[in-house]
Amino acid sequence: MDSGSTKTEDPRREPTTFREFLASLGRPFVEIGDTVRGIFAVFGLTLYYMVRGRTRWKAIFEQLHEVGNRSVIFIAVTLGFLGMILIYQSGYQAQQITGDLQMLGGLFLQLLLREFAPTITAMMLATRVATGMAAQIGSMVVTEQVDALEMSAAQPIDYLVVPRFIATTIMTVVLSIFAVLVAYTAGAITAQLSFGLNVRTFVDMSFIGWFDVWMGLTKAVAYGMAIPIIACHAGLNVFGGSAGVGRATTAAVVNASLAVVILDFIISGAGYVILHLVS
Amino acid sequence: MIRIENITKYHQGRPVLEDVSFTIAEGSNVGLIGPGGSGKSLLLKIVCGLVSPDGGKVFIDDVDVHSLTPQELADLRFRIGMLFQNYALFDFMNVGENIAFPLHQEGGFSDEEIDERVKQALIDISLPGIDHLFPNELSGGMKKRVSFARAVIRRPPILFYDDPTAGLDPVTSSKIFILLEKMKVEGGVTSVTISHDIQGIKSICDRFAMLEEGKLVFLGDHDEIEACEIPVVSKFWQGYSDDELEI
Amino acid sequence: MHRLVSRLQLPFSILGEKALKWANITGGLILLTWQIMLNLLPWNWNFDGPEIWRSMYRVGVQSFPIVVVTAVLVGAIMVIQSGLYIEQYQAHGLLGWGAGYAILREVGPILIGLMFSGRVGANNTAELGTMKVTDQIDALRALAIDPVAYLVMPRFLAMIVMMFLLVVVGNFTALIGGAVTSQVLLGVDMMLFYQSVVTYVLLDDLWHGLIKSVMFGFAIAVISCYFGLATRGGAVGVGRAVNASVVGSAIAIFAIDYFVAFGTL
Repeated sequence: MDSGSTKTEDPRREPTTFREFLASLGRPFVEIGDTVRGIFAVFGLTLYYMVRGRTRWKAIFEQLHEVGNRSVIFIAVTLGFLGMILIYQSGYQAQQITGDLQMLGGLFLQLLLREFAPTITAMMLATRVATGMAAQIGSMVVTEQVDALEMSAAQPIDYLVVPRFIATTIMTVVLSIFAVLVAYTAGAITAQLSFGLNVRTFVDMSFIGWFDVWMGLTKAVAYGMAIPIIACHAGLNVFGGSAGVGRATTAAVVNASLAVVILDFIISGAGYVILHLVS
Repeated sequence: MIRIENITKYHQGRPVLEDVSFTIAEGSNVGLIGPGGSGKSLLLKIVCGLVSPDGGKVFIDDVDVHSLTPQELADLRFRIGMLFQNYALFDFMNVGENIAFPLHQEGGFSDEEIDERVKQALIDISLPGIDHLFPNELSGGMKKRVSFARAVIRRPPILFYDDPTAGLDPVTSSKIFILLEKMKVEGGVTSVTISHDIQGIKSICDRFAMLEEGKLVFLGDHDEIEACEIPVVSKFWQGYSDDELEI
Repeated sequence: MHRLVSRLQLPFSILGEKALKWANITGGLILLTWQIMLNLLPWNWNFDGPEIWRSMYRVGVQSFPIVVVTAVLVGAIMVIQSGLYIEQYQAHGLLGWGAGYAILREVGPILIGLMFSGRVGANNTAELGTMKVTDQIDALRALAIDPVAYLVMPRFLAMIVMMFLLVVVGNFTALIGGAVTSQVLLGVDMMLFYQSVVTYVLLDDLWHGLIKSVMFGFAIAVISCYFGLATRGGAVGVGRAVNASVVGSAIAIFAIDYFVAFGTL
């Protein structure tokens, strides 16, 4: 009997034998492995075509507009709220425990740079940009446009992924810097209104070192590279009409958000270790 | 010449193409028929290398399509034109850019030359002067014709038509078939056409192949299919069913 | 002259279009919330018990693994970030407080909420959107079945309950992740971390996070169902709907978080 034809089974069926039970335990890991391998394959091909292929400035600028300009308001709203929330909570705690708000602004800026600005910006881009890309490329797959690209001898990765990759990497860095400004301004206003903290006291750069700037930039670049690759991978692997596009957009936002959290953990941990080795 | 050898393809453990083999001679026009879901579109995509099979080989002019590097595959595709079932017009380009896209990809054409050829292509499909419109502004028949113009703009020696009249009204369908017939009359083109329109396909094809549940059940010319005794083939060809509806 | 006038009108027409779009969305959301509330009135109860269980099972199974992974990593990240300050001031006893307070009160619910919206909310919008574009919703109406009662209510209840439970689980795993990180990476004893959490983090902080999680669940459920039912235009439309749903949910999460913080302090 052919191995292919034995695989016809209803996934909802209860496993009956021990082997099937083991198979149902292992299947998610196999799927995760396939997804990760697929993502790295897309990443490798993207880098290859970035070096080898023609640079399409027009497409890159279109994507810069798509990723950047159309996310500005969204980032401003969410990060503005985040700045106000963080200052509220930490200011309240500081007042309760030490009664001293002098360091609030400086430490807030440091935390924003190291952690919150790039990570939350990337989480927001993972929702807005990753779903958008997966939906767009996914619809191109189901309407056979990607096949038509290939038949015209254009590589879909070169043509579709490379401009998105370049544009998102640039824009994640730019939007992270914008996010620092927005969240810090919102925090300063909240500190002034709620705790009567003078803006001059709040704006305090003395805590900031090169470490914080590098940390924030490294994170932003890493997220900016991961998000478009994961989104395009999800989009290119669509099958089965509008239900498939729905599945792909969900996969894109989940995988991209998870990637952001995982990268955050790795980079923060590495940063901590490096800081220890230096000092 | 296209040689298809023992093509097999599984989807979720179920065979959708089983051991399909046939040869398409240079200059012949094959009509591929069969009920929905019998694997016709998939076979076409395997032949032009968009999908890789689980077993078997495809040779175009004695070159194994699925063993080529991306660059060699690209060179091969310069000689293949394909008309997709869902139009597959790039919705981020206007009509002119869509038709010119294969030429831009191939390279070596001056801008004036490309403009000239796009203009001529639009005249050929009797839709002159619509190059500035976007695909979502066109009707289904217009999209099919633009898609046809894009498929033939390189004047490829091999042409694949995947259901050129799907979802079109009879008048528009006949216009499409007139276009395809003109292509055939001009000569020298090897083509494969998938269609459910038996009348239309009779007019442009000289050989016929039928797929049923992933298997090749018939291969022959017009007289042979008219005289064919196999029930599924003759019923499909004459377009009737005497089966009771199973309840 | 005519072109100049139309050029001058352009910004206003864009502004008007945006305003109309937003008014449309706001109205639709309020209307859907209203219909859900009507269905929640005791004399309108018409719940399909097994269907609610199935929805809860689906929602839980879908999101449990990613919530656990996210929570463990978030706990670890919070410990690393506060660890940098703790070492600066040599206050190891405050590590549990810093990380625990941040996790339970803010970062835990927000990040789990964002994950939940991506996993469950997006999936929900995609499902309902696909049903809408394939005319299944109209088919339900033609059979005299109210789509809100039949499709939205089970999802709505399942999402609120499951969001709450997932944040409970997420808080717990995040603290474990934090404790392990503090032991392995920072060399701060796990017991010290644990004691610090128990001593300084108040029950109040836990409740604050849990109440927010219910509100996030409510917002994600309403928003994802609304955008799903408002889908138009084939596969492209489904993609757009999912995009709108996750963006709307993210804005709602941060806005709710802000107003809860503002209201309770």
